[in-house]
Amino acid sequence: MIPLAHYLILSGILFSIGLAGVLVRKNILVVFMCLEMMLTAANVALVAFSRAQGTAGVPVYDAQVLSLFITGIAAAEVAIGLALIVAMFRARRTVESTALNTLKD
Amino acid sequence: MNIVSTYTWCQFAPAFALVGLAALLILADALLPRIPKRAYALIGALGTFITTYFLWNGTHANLFGAIATISTGLAILLAFDYKKISCESIAGAGNEEGTGEFYALPLVACAGILCLTQARDLIMLFVSLEVVTLTSYVLAGYFRRNQGSIEAGIKYLVLGAMSTGILVYGIAWYFGMTGSFNMNTEVVVSALSGGVAGSPALAIGFMMSIALLFAGAFFKVGAAPMHVWIPDVYQGAPTPTTCFLAVASKTAGFVVLCALALPFAPICIPGSLLGKCIVWAFGIVAAATLLIGNLGALRQTNLKRLLGYSSIGQAGFILVFFLNLSQDTMTLVGAYLAAYALATTAAFFAIAMVRTQRGSEEIAAFRGLAKTNPRTAFLITVSFASLAGVPLTMGFMVKFSSFIICVGSIYQWPALCWLLPIMVITAAAGFYYYFKVLRAMYWEKPLASDKPLQVPVCTAAVLTACAIMLIYLGTRPLIMLG
Repeated sequence: MIPLAHYLILSGILFSIGLAGVLVRKNILVVFMCLEMMLTAANVALVAFSRAQGTAGVPVYDAQVLSLFITGIAAAEVAIGLALIVAMFRARRTVESTALNTLKD
Repeated sequence: MNIVSTYTWCQFAPAFALVGLAALLILADALLPRIPKRAYALIGALGTFITTYFLWNGTHANLFGAIATISTGLAILLAFDYKKISCESIAGAGNEEGTGEFYALPLVACAGILCLTQARDLIMLFVSLEVVTLTSYVLAGYFRRNQGSIEAGIKYLVLGAMSTGILVYGIAWYFGMTGSFNMNTEVVVSALSGGVAGSPALAIGFMMSIALLFAGAFFKVGAAPMHVWIPDVYQGAPTPTTCFLAVASKTAGFVVLCALALPFAPICIPGSLLGKCIVWAFGIVAAATLLIGNLGALRQTNLKRLLGYSSIGQAGFILVFFLNLSQDTMTLVGAYLAAYALATTAAFFAIAMVRTQRGSEEIAAFRGLAKTNPRTAFLITVSFASLAGVPLTMGFMVKFSSFIICVGSIYQWPALCWLLPIMVITAAAGFYYYFKVLRAMYWEKPLASDKPLQVPVCTAAVLTACAIMLIYLGTRPLIMLG
């Protein structure tokens, strides 16, 4: 039996990599992958916690329901995001975030 | 505990009605190409106004829901007046193809806000908040022939999804530390004292989850330091979308913030260390938001960008209400949002009108409006005066109540006294930058080529209604006192 802490460490690592990637990477596709990684981190934590909070081997299903919702929302987010990236590529021939420079002070 | 049994279907009737209407409009858009798209705008706006009527009184009474639906309806009406630009930026001038969803999607987002106001647990809160934000990403990037709109869409999506990730990670930890998704005082107090086992590690994990949750909520309301998306997105997004984001989406953010903060109300008393931390956190965030929003707005020349900074600044005044958490907080926040909604919506209608006819969203494009359209100029003056907080407008009443709450909190927490001068300075800065528009209208001369603006029917009606409401609600308390 793997203890809860290991799952939480994994989810913490996933979350940190995701957050760091969003802040550091310039390619918007990679930024998107990092965003998904942040949501996955939450999913891992939720499922692990749902087992840990359960009694007599029955997990708390509320948390697993939320993790399904998160998966669905992540899919919707990617659909919208890829559409915007395609529109951006058509307009600018690049998907680097440094090219997003029309709007500034 | 079963989450489904916490709710009744009846609670969500207004939201279902709006989603149903949106689905009908999208189907009609796909299957009946003969119907002119602007009919969808009128039907959608009518639908939201009918919903507002049911939310205003009766079994569904709901202040935040009413503000959200009415401002969504006004944003759709704005899209109706803005159709010339929409067609140019979506399918090419004069071609209405693909503009139908632009009128239907705000209804879906509005339904999300209505669910949000009913949310009593974090799952409902999260899912309905995502309905609002996912729809807003589409609306922000809708003008695909417009560089600014695509850029706004991508920036909003990346930063918004990041805040979603932070919020949802906070929810996961909240569940892990408390074993429940409910936000109420008992759960919060028990977790802060280390739960049943009384373990300090659990309390620390819980505080981390609360910090993550608040970071996510601060992003949605545009509070510093999570405000960076606002100026860019407001400037780049289509004007009707900006109007929606500035009012309806901000309402959603404050609903979330109230839901997260109110369980802490009994803890925020002098003498409690944790209460002190929470009040200080709100004080610092409010001060930073006030300074960044109001001082950042000073040097703007693009009016949409200026209103973006102004929305950050106004959020700062609303955050001051959270220094004194009580059952009245929601009412005060609602009243402030209502005043802000009326004035800001009128301002966006004015921007859309000037943009359609003079081709620019700069403040300079308002030049000489007092000469060419004196009545419209007066109505615009009322809305900007209310945003600045001139006495006899509703904006003054709500800003004044923010000052009163601040003074009351300083009595309780004397160490917060530095907040009051910051509020005075930023309110004064507001007068400067909102009056730049009035200066352009009254002091600058119109160019020889400037024709008087044609005021569209919806714009005229909305500007008049907003100005009357702002003055009526601003003077009524005085009349009642007299």
